[in-house]
Amino acid sequence: MIQLQKISRHYPVGFGKNYILKDIDLTINEGEFVSIMGPSGSGKSTLLHIMGLLEEPSEGQYLFEGERVDKMNEKKRTQLHRGSIGFVFQAYHLIDELTVYENIETPLLYKNIPASERKSRVADVLDRFNMVAKKDLFPNQLSGGQQQLVGIARAIVAEPRVILADEPTGNLHSDQAKVIMQLFKHLNEQDKITIIQVTHSDVNATYGNRVIQIRDGQIQP
Amino acid sequence: MWRNYLKTAVRNLLKRKLYTVINITGLAAGITCFILLALYLQNEWTYDQFHTNAAKLYRIRMDYGEKDQPVTHTALNFNGLGPVVKDYPEVKLMSRVYPYASTVKYGDKAVNEKRFIYADPAFFRMFSFPLLSGNAATVLNGPDMIVLSASMANKYFGTTDVVGKTLKINDRKNYQVTGVAADAPANTHLKFDFVASYSSLGEKDNWNSPNYYTYVQLADNATAAGLHKNLKAFIGEMMKGANRSGATFDLVPEPVTGIHLYSVAGNSTEAGGDIRYNYILSIIAVLLLLVAGINFMNLATARSADRSREIGVRKALGALRGQLFWQFMAESTIITFCAIIIGLLLAAILLPFFNNMADTTISLGFTNGYRIYALLVVVFLGTTFFAGTYPALFLSGFRPVQVLKGRMTYGKGGNIRKTLVVFQFATAVFFIICTLVVGRQLQYIQTKKLGMDRSQVLVLYGDHMNSKMLEQFKSRLLQQTGIQQVSASYDSPVAVGGGYTIDNLQGKPADYHLDITAIPVEKDYLRTMGIRLIAGSDFTNADIQDVLKADSARVYHFFLNETAVRSLGWEPEAAIGKKMVMNGRAGLIQGVMEDFHFASMRNKIQPIVVFPEYDYFGEILVKTAGGKEQLAIAGIENVWKEYLPGTPFEYHFMDEDFNGIYKAEFRTSTILTTFSVVVILVSCLGLLGLAAFTAEQRTREVGIRKIMGASATNVVALLSKDFIKLVVIALCIASPVAWYAMHHWLETFAYHTSLNVWLFLLAGGMAVLIALMTVSLQSVKAALMNPAKSLRSE
Repeated sequence: MIQLQKISRHYPVGFGKNYILKDIDLTINEGEFVSIMGPSGSGKSTLLHIMGLLEEPSEGQYLFEGERVDKMNEKKRTQLHRGSIGFVFQAYHLIDELTVYENIETPLLYKNIPASERKSRVADVLDRFNMVAKKDLFPNQLSGGQQQLVGIARAIVAEPRVILADEPTGNLHSDQAKVIMQLFKHLNEQDKITIIQVTHSDVNATYGNRVIQIRDGQIQP
Repeated sequence: MWRNYLKTAVRNLLKRKLYTVINITGLAAGITCFILLALYLQNEWTYDQFHTNAAKLYRIRMDYGEKDQPVTHTALNFNGLGPVVKDYPEVKLMSRVYPYASTVKYGDKAVNEKRFIYADPAFFRMFSFPLLSGNAATVLNGPDMIVLSASMANKYFGTTDVVGKTLKINDRKNYQVTGVAADAPANTHLKFDFVASYSSLGEKDNWNSPNYYTYVQLADNATAAGLHKNLKAFIGEMMKGANRSGATFDLVPEPVTGIHLYSVAGNSTEAGGDIRYNYILSIIAVLLLLVAGINFMNLATARSADRSREIGVRKALGALRGQLFWQFMAESTIITFCAIIIGLLLAAILLPFFNNMADTTISLGFTNGYRIYALLVVVFLGTTFFAGTYPALFLSGFRPVQVLKGRMTYGKGGNIRKTLVVFQFATAVFFIICTLVVGRQLQYIQTKKLGMDRSQVLVLYGDHMNSKMLEQFKSRLLQQTGIQQVSASYDSPVAVGGGYTIDNLQGKPADYHLDITAIPVEKDYLRTMGIRLIAGSDFTNADIQDVLKADSARVYHFFLNETAVRSLGWEPEAAIGKKMVMNGRAGLIQGVMEDFHFASMRNKIQPIVVFPEYDYFGEILVKTAGGKEQLAIAGIENVWKEYLPGTPFEYHFMDEDFNGIYKAEFRTSTILTTFSVVVILVSCLGLLGLAAFTAEQRTREVGIRKIMGASATNVVALLSKDFIKLVVIALCIASPVAWYAMHHWLETFAYHTSLNVWLFLLAGGMAVLIALMTVSLQSVKAALMNPAKSLRSE
């Protein structure tokens, strides 16, 4: 599903280059639950952002379902971005001015989904996450774990094929983290959503079926 | 989608109350001023354009000047001209207009009405002043007929249904009301309350007293040039025998629509407009809007750090730049919309005050103001677009990854922001300097030694007294307490208008003529006005007897000012006793006066002749003792009622006449001061907002510095320094521009104050001080914050 070929990411320093990622070759198949691990500054997040089309690689090729992303036009990339990829962030990144309901609805708005369908899909997700009672609350009225639940709800509402999660439990205590990780596992197993998470935690990594170690911008064998 | 945009926008605005209030207040203030100025300018620029025949209406101006002397333009003409032009094929309709303030009496109500004119029967057919009752073709076609405005009808009769009633005019004749006209609009130079039929005057057409305006409506196929040709031929024929080689005589038709702003002869029926001031006010209006718009942009971009996370998240969720752009535009739209509504309300509330200040009667009604509403729509769209686009582009351009990683650079857009602040403050400083200079010039005018003493001089209307009556009246007044001198003159001593010509001057060639200003006066004039003689002697009672004789036997005694004598090439003493004739008045020069200002200080003091002549006095001048004015006024009123029981007692101080000359300047000064204050306030609002956000952004820095031992003063200095630098740059830019502009303005006065360095220093000091106070509000708050607290939140 995701194929990275000789992907590098660098920025100029003086006369040389400082590599954040160097010659990454990686293939992730549909339905996998991958954990990317490594110390701070090793390039994990950058790798995730490149896979999520938030950043572009300096070198190398990125194929999504066999199609070269760098060859796609803006429209197609946006479609891919909106339709196939969902994001979950460490700091939740909910929009403070919107209610739970509206936060979850936002990706659907950008996908131009008609109002009636939006309504039913948001309702489904709320129902599934047991958050119907909280739909009119604002993010600052929720606990961290609840906020991250909303973050995940928002990520899956557009029915993506892959969820990219950047340390999704980094700001949570272990009980809440457990709930979130189980949810990911459930999404992966029941809904067949491919999940790629960046994590520091060995415990979290055990929920996945594959671990990729990164150090100094390179994948460790 | 739009609902979502609007919802986020509203919630964002409510969350950031300070920001929203600053933004809306600033913009609303700018828009309020803009609306008021736009209304004023619309009024100025549409003068007399509402007449159906506007393009065909002309006023005939008279130009004259002796050989090698400057040409005088005057709108006043001889009443003999009207009947002559009426017969020209180019002229379809003609009406003379003779303004003559009169006492109007109905029952026991008697008021001296200033907006009282006499006009020929065609008046209401030529000008589109709609009649509420009466037939435009016939309302003025006989003697003793009068048309009054609706508000006057209400004032005197309590109703507008008044056709057929009679009014007593000047306590002499009864006039029959033949029509009621709608009140004259604010944008006409012919503002009347009463129009009486010209034939009521019972005057013969003559060619020696130019006191009448002559208006014509051209025939459908005629041109002004054609009419001018006829008039030129006419005047040429008339002046043939006059032996005035090299002299200029011309009768020029000038369009009625241009009288208010462009006529070289001036508006004359009311304080004239000045196209230059209108341009200046247009610039002020646009600058105000710009300054307010800049606030908006600056605050929006300064808040970028605040909004960056939201932008990043939205982009990660699939928002395109275009979608975010429109979201921010939605916010701008809400703010400008609120500002427009508030601005419109404020403008409506402040309009009466503005009218008072600008001496206008503008209304905000939809019928005459529809252009304003169209303009408002333009301003709304324009401001939203102009002020909203840059922030929207700026904010929507954020890269999501940088933002989400917290690598957002806070200084972004800082240079543009600084440039805009500099622009704002340069504008503010420019306004401060202009206000100071204009104020100083007005002070200079009012305190300058005029060569005569106008203080504590009361002016009464002399129209109603003949010379016999005046003499008795005068001797009675002098018996009252608090009255030092009493005299009279043809027109106001501070604005002498009469144009005369000196001929047959002893010691000059026979064809020598000198155009000169002159004023007929009563014998105590020089003493009352404190005008000093530098040669010759004051009038004696015998002199007065000389001018009270029958016309042909009169001997006039003339007083020339020093400028007049010098322009004749004489020393003051040498002029005494010289014979001369002035417009048929034979006499001799009896004295030379020290120069005094009898007209606007825009012009150098011109030659003037003062001479006793008891035929007509427009003004009675009463010099009161300092501090006893009220006593004197009460005394005068008693005597007045004794002599003229049917005429209302009205008076004013000569200071008012004097200030009246500088009406346009006073008006400009008031408008400038008011709007300078607004510009400064709006700029400060912007600065306040910026300072607040800078302080917020630098919370961490301030916290660290405080832990390192920085005092509150250090922190305030640190946070204020950058802003003060900007204000100083603004000062450097604004000063030369203001110097240039004000130098040119002052040059329009022959007598003017100087541009001192301290004016600029004062303006600069004020700007820096105001900015410092504004910024300190925030800096001090930041400086006093507990560092442990600010660092923990990071």
